[in-house]
Amino acid sequence: MLQPVKLKAIALFICFLGVSLPTLGHHSFGMFDMQSFEPLEGTVVTFQWTNPHVILWVEKIADEGSEPEMWGIELSSPGNLQRAGITRLSLYRGDNVIVTMSPLRSGNHGGAFRAVENLTTGMSYDYDYSEVGSVQ
Amino acid sequence: MNSTKRLLFTIFMFSLCLWVQAAEEPATMNYAELDNLPDWSGIWTPDVADQRAQAAANLTPWTEEAARTIAEMMEADATGTPAGIFQDCLPEGMPSWMLISHNAFEVLFTPGRVTLLGESDSNRLRRIYTDGREQAEDPDLTYHGHSVGYWEGDTLVVDTVGILPEVYLAVSEATGVRNGGDMHVTERIYLADPDTMYIDLVITAPHVLTEPWETRRIYDRVRGFDIIEGVCLQGNSFNQIDEDGNIIFVPTMPQ
Repeated sequence: MLQPVKLKAIALFICFLGVSLPTLGHHSFGMFDMQSFEPLEGTVVTFQWTNPHVILWVEKIADEGSEPEMWGIELSSPGNLQRAGITRLSLYRGDNVIVTMSPLRSGNHGGAFRAVENLTTGMSYDYDYSEVGSVQ
Repeated sequence: MNSTKRLLFTIFMFSLCLWVQAAEEPATMNYAELDNLPDWSGIWTPDVADQRAQAAANLTPWTEEAARTIAEMMEADATGTPAGIFQDCLPEGMPSWMLISHNAFEVLFTPGRVTLLGESDSNRLRRIYTDGREQAEDPDLTYHGHSVGYWEGDTLVVDTVGILPEVYLAVSEATGVRNGGDMHVTERIYLADPDTMYIDLVITAPHVLTEPWETRRIYDRVRGFDIIEGVCLQGNSFNQIDEDGNIIFVPTMPQ
């Protein structure tokens, strides 16, 4: 859910550190490589439950010797997600997750959501874009 | 009956007539007529797979110049740099909302009017006047235009003019050209089966199309869910806590 936390870090990441999610308005998913499915393991920073796109912000578990990375995983709209069984209560800040995503073609730290395994709650969710659609 | 009683009886009857007349007054708000309309309850989600199939099979008759722009945009979308023609959160408008949306809408019937309310973007609102009025001759130009309609059996026939020239005629969220004005859209909206709605459109856009474009969009009924409020610009903000402890929205990027 949209949790009121101090998220300056996210804004900084977006503005300066190369998370180039197109978080503005309605848009195509053409910037994602939808043929690719990659895992991302980390901790939920916030589950931004907003229209027109929900965004799952995840702090990726750092590789040895490197800093943690902030990743933005973009989903469909709250309405489409609810009808697919994903709600604002499905993921909480601090949950440990393994996300399956289609990465940004730019190589920046973002992707399109395909599925998530919530290790904290034991629940799993996925989203079929061909059924309810939010992708070109 | 003495004169006083007669006077009182006359006053009573006169008052009764006034009351009955008042009760019948709102002739334009005849809710009983709604009983004759088809059941379009629930919410309607677009058949996105069919949108794509239509885009491939029923090509838009673009002018040469528009076709060139569209081809460039399709190429950009396919190679990872889609144009953000709706990223400003202004309405997709007519007829693009009907053509490319990935989000649901609901239909409200009130006497003399059909209203479409779309999900995911609070700008999605269409008012279709079915009270018998003529199409406006010189309406204010708007994103969704001026729509009048009538019922032909269980089919709603809609005529729309007055669409802003800046509104995109779009075939995807990353592909479209501004219509340039004088656009005219007719629709036949009906149920192909109890849970499938067809919208058959004829789009005339003389500045970007060489001929009227006939196309169909399909919407599937979903029951058990309500339309969720959607404010497009909200997605461009984070909620944060300010110095005074207030929960506030902060734009993600410079607006």
